[in-house]
Amino acid sequence: MSNQFEIFLQQLLNGLTIGMVYALIALGYTMVYGVIQLINFAHGEIFMVGAFFAFTVIWLFTSFFVGAPFWIVLVSIIFLSMLGSAVLGATIEKVAYKPLRNSPKLTALITSIGVSFFLQNAVMLIYGSKEQNIPEVIPMVRFDLGGFSFSLIQLIIFVTAVTLMFFLTWFVKNTRLGKAMRACAENAEAAKLMGISVDKVIRVTFMLGSALAAVGGSLFGIYYGSINFHDGYLAGLKAFTAAVLGGIGSIPGAMLGGVLLGVVEGLGAGYISSEWKDVFAFVLLGIILIFKPSGIMGENLPEKV
Amino acid sequence: MRSFWKAAVLFSGIIFCMGAGEKQDFIEIGFVAPLTGDQAYVGVGVLQGAQMAVEDANIKGPIFGNTKLKLVPLDDQHNPTQAVLAANKLAADPDVVGVIGHFNSSCTKAASAIYHEARMVQITPASTNPDISRQGFDTFFRICATDDVQGPAAADFVFSKLGLRKISIIDDKTTYGKGLADQFDKKFESLGGTVLSHDGITQGEKDFTPLLTKVKSLEPQLIFFGGIYPELSLLIKQSRKLGLRAPWMGGDGVFDVTLIKLVTPSLSEGTYSTMLGVDPHTLPEAKDFVTRYEARYGEIGSFSAYGYDAVNVLIEAIRRAGKNDREAVLREVRNTKDFGGVFGRINFDEKGDAVGKSVGIFKVENGKFKFIEEVKPQELIV
Repeated sequence: MSNQFEIFLQQLLNGLTIGMVYALIALGYTMVYGVIQLINFAHGEIFMVGAFFAFTVIWLFTSFFVGAPFWIVLVSIIFLSMLGSAVLGATIEKVAYKPLRNSPKLTALITSIGVSFFLQNAVMLIYGSKEQNIPEVIPMVRFDLGGFSFSLIQLIIFVTAVTLMFFLTWFVKNTRLGKAMRACAENAEAAKLMGISVDKVIRVTFMLGSALAAVGGSLFGIYYGSINFHDGYLAGLKAFTAAVLGGIGSIPGAMLGGVLLGVVEGLGAGYISSEWKDVFAFVLLGIILIFKPSGIMGENLPEKV
Repeated sequence: MRSFWKAAVLFSGIIFCMGAGEKQDFIEIGFVAPLTGDQAYVGVGVLQGAQMAVEDANIKGPIFGNTKLKLVPLDDQHNPTQAVLAANKLAADPDVVGVIGHFNSSCTKAASAIYHEARMVQITPASTNPDISRQGFDTFFRICATDDVQGPAAADFVFSKLGLRKISIIDDKTTYGKGLADQFDKKFESLGGTVLSHDGITQGEKDFTPLLTKVKSLEPQLIFFGGIYPELSLLIKQSRKLGLRAPWMGGDGVFDVTLIKLVTPSLSEGTYSTMLGVDPHTLPEAKDFVTRYEARYGEIGSFSAYGYDAVNVLIEAIRRAGKNDREAVLREVRNTKDFGGVFGRINFDEKGDAVGKSVGIFKVENGKFKFIEEVKPQELIV
């Protein structure tokens, strides 16, 4: 019996870990949707590019700075991949979406799919089509808590994700830029009339979302030890589901949706059938949308895309 | 480069439509495999083998008259719809005399009807699904073994040689992975072994800890995986982190040195794999091919030698036919007798399958796939 309970806790923990990563990606979907009502399908690819930034930083460390303490490596990975992805996010916004600001929503949506193909193939050409191995940068330390155990990297994923979520909530609530973001989400026209630079707000939103996805990507790559140019697709799809689940446009909703999705998948795959793993995610989405069409924390009905 | 080929195909198509069949200096060999998308890594390996064969032949001079060979590579993204598009493109081009491809069984099968209708010879370097050659197309040939040899060979090895009785099976739900795992499952049970569990996973997924936590509680002596190596590498790593110690085994899809790199040599130690044929590194007659390949492209892909062999069979047939005529080349491919390939002599049976292609069993030892034994199809009478 107690053994059964330990397995349950272990499964729950596995689900929470991947759920945290989903949540980090989902935040970018939800923020961009909140501000310009665009489902940015290239977001999953930014997550993947973030993982490749991390891979590159690790490669630099293992070839030129051998023996650097792991926390320096970790902080550099996260910081540099956030920086790189933020620049990438802003560039994509400028090149691909800004010229379409006044076009029909569908045009921007299809453009985002195009951007996604572009990024995938660009990474394939640069890094090759093979699975890339990420060397272990985090020491394999396990913490035993009477029966179930978790590893240092899982702890790092938790702490980083939760810290970033708190930071984001604070940022959106209390800073000028955050307030401007909320104003734009509420009514972009009115915000413009109030003297808010909508273009700047949109750019910052893309940068923030991309940086969060990059953190997700870096942690994801380090946790699983291998990355590939098409990893963004499935992770992006799951995170999008999480964002819709929590209520697209809502920041706490994306966090809750991600964690919930990870846990449901983990428990479903562990106790019912791993073949049906994706089915659980979408059944959950279906049920929630039947009873609450705007998602768990969504306020208004999302527009149809 | 690819757009260049596309333009070339299009251009020759236009010339064909205009009925201006000029005297040509090139005879073309179509090649289709996944060159982009999530299986690009294997497709590119086969393509490099094929390119090498064409270059080897061109160095020797014109194949007949003043005609040289040209490879026309197309991409099917391991998607049967794209495979059909590529096949139609090649079939419409009169300069293309035959096709090497495709890679994935699902694509090879979908495209085979088009080549049959166009009376073009098709030689697959790697599709192992046995049903493809049972469609009755006289244009279809394959130079590798099939899964009704590979799966049972693996099951027989686990049951008789390793003496294991309780195993678990995981597959990736694809035509190839599930097909292979089912063959293994059937044979292992018919031998009297117990299959504790048979689960499916999704290709491209990264987190298998929930499934592995469950499999661990069943205490299997070995876990067989029907699928390709990126998933197996994650399965092995995650199973070891969970304290699941049972050895893993896979088919030709996991036979790739990258697997060992991804899992790290110490964790991959003791993993078994079957492979179509034996390791080219261990064959003295393949030494020249392996050395030249690795000098050119780096590490040899697990199917590169098959790409090389398939193209060479076709080139030899073109040489014997002596003209750009699909029927004549098809006839000559069928007349192939004791062709000397990297993995030994190649002969085709009436279905177009290579005769007597054996399966090799390998085990990871000291960070390398070590050849353990060869299973010949005639040894596998159920």
